[in-house]
Amino acid sequence: MSGKPKIAVYKLSSCAGCQLEFLNLEPVLLDVVGALDISYFVMAKRDNAPGPYDIGFVEGAVTCGEEIAKLKAARRDCKTLVALGSCACFGGLPSIKNWEPQREVEARVYSELWAIHSTKAYGIDQYVPVDAYLRGCPIDKGELVELIKNCLLGAAPAWRFPAVCTECKIKENVCLLIYENKPCMGPVTAAGCGALCPTYGKPCEGCRGPAHDANAPSLARIFGDLGLNAADVTRYFRKYAGTTPAFQEGAEAL
Amino acid sequence: MAVAKVSERWAAMSLVPKEEVGLLVDGLARHYQVIGPKQKGKAFVLEKLASGQELRLDYQTSILPPRKALIRPRETMFSFHDNQVETVQDAGPQVLFGLHPCDVHALTLLDQVFSLEYEDPYYAARRQQTYVVALNCTTVGENCFCYLMGTGPTLRDGYDLLLTDLGNEYLVEVGSDAGEELLRHLSLRPAPRVRVVEKEKRLDQVRRQFRQQMEVTEMREVLAGSYNHPAWRELAKDCLGCGNCTMVCPTCFCFQVKDQLELDLNHGQRVREWDSCLLWDYSLVALGHNFRPQLETRLKQRLYHKLYYYEDQIGTPGCVGCGRCVTNCPAGIHPLEVVARLKGE
Repeated sequence: MSGKPKIAVYKLSSCAGCQLEFLNLEPVLLDVVGALDISYFVMAKRDNAPGPYDIGFVEGAVTCGEEIAKLKAARRDCKTLVALGSCACFGGLPSIKNWEPQREVEARVYSELWAIHSTKAYGIDQYVPVDAYLRGCPIDKGELVELIKNCLLGAAPAWRFPAVCTECKIKENVCLLIYENKPCMGPVTAAGCGALCPTYGKPCEGCRGPAHDANAPSLARIFGDLGLNAADVTRYFRKYAGTTPAFQEGAEAL
Repeated sequence: MAVAKVSERWAAMSLVPKEEVGLLVDGLARHYQVIGPKQKGKAFVLEKLASGQELRLDYQTSILPPRKALIRPRETMFSFHDNQVETVQDAGPQVLFGLHPCDVHALTLLDQVFSLEYEDPYYAARRQQTYVVALNCTTVGENCFCYLMGTGPTLRDGYDLLLTDLGNEYLVEVGSDAGEELLRHLSLRPAPRVRVVEKEKRLDQVRRQFRQQMEVTEMREVLAGSYNHPAWRELAKDCLGCGNCTMVCPTCFCFQVKDQLELDLNHGQRVREWDSCLLWDYSLVALGHNFRPQLETRLKQRLYHKLYYYEDQIGTPGCVGCGRCVTNCPAGIHPLEVVARLKGE
């Protein structure tokens, strides 16, 4: 790359929380701005330059035809395309609607159904090739900075995604699953968040999607033993990443 | 750490009233960092004690084992910038206070692991400045099986000082010159020899509380012929592959090493972090080959290493029977139950 790499931040169907994490990089924000040329970031600046860009960050799930077109244009304009957050990675929260008839879901929110033309919610790699994934709801700022450094180096990040438990144990959190009998998704969810929720006494909700080689059916059976019914267990596995094969297995295990 | 025979040191026995045991911590804390058991929610952790009041010698086990004080879950090995390297060394004198016999055994195993072929300078530097105040067990935890592994509930060596709960007071025995050095910082009442009888009586009572399920030699025989046993496939259906068992294991020693650069791509640090053979990418090598892609093979690796291979490497099993992996396994996998299942029980 000659000069500072140009970056673009796009938004599809999302809450904008992951984009906000860019701005929340305060301690290193100036260094980041110094290393990158933020060319297109509608939420953060008024003047946005047209492509091409070196790195594109796409936030949000794809939930309608217009977004597919927007996403394909982004893919065309960016050398490296990054899925920013769980919605872009695997559909995220919007994907909870995928297992109900589309019209029933729409009718719950909208009255003028003729104007609605949404599709099932998927991560962006359903439609375009993706070079890197930043998981989480929202993303982890440390991982974002790591990814930026790797882009500057031209290297692929050497990320590993063991279970959240590995980070939770290192923090010596008192296990919520074992000591509190709370359904915690930690044993099957990808680490990288520093076991944020369990550290504050909240069971992991699985927002970062499946850990590598996760054994979701076993955790589903453990949830069943805790007294959860099959429908509840299914909802746990579909909350953020039900579109992934691993969590699909968990959702259908009981 | 030169450990003398305890029998030579009967004269150095002392007594501490139970309510004053915290004062030992306070006395040592003036000269050393004292790490001991304290409560965290419904569990206990070994952490730096701010004062003796935090000490909880009634703890059954800690979440992480004492190895965390010698090889940290995550530590910087050195930092670098331009062409310069600066080594990082953060070892200082520390006392591990109130370690149970199983955990002391685990430290002596790690001492061998980290010096067997190559000495690990980070481990060695910390270990040289680490004093062990052990605590004989007078109660048996739900998942304890030290008696079977020959690592408890009482301790013969490996400690600098050894405490035994005698009801209203602790008997303090010296196990090394370093232990005597520790005692110099404390003023304790000498114990009459008769209290040793009391100690043995109490420890015998503890030993009787264990249910002897199996002999170690038998365990080894069972494992020798069970590598392809169908039970492994069934166990792998339950195993979550979460790595909890290895994180909490007092004898696990694997770590990964990585370089972390600053945004200027010039300054950076080399760090190492605990790793686990239960994790999918632990045995992933360059060009993408993975030696243990199936969970079944990783689960086997963990248990075979602890109960079988370790003995070939070090001469004793790598399991000290502390029961942490049992307590922390959401799927309830128990090494002894696995062996029993392989045996066909």
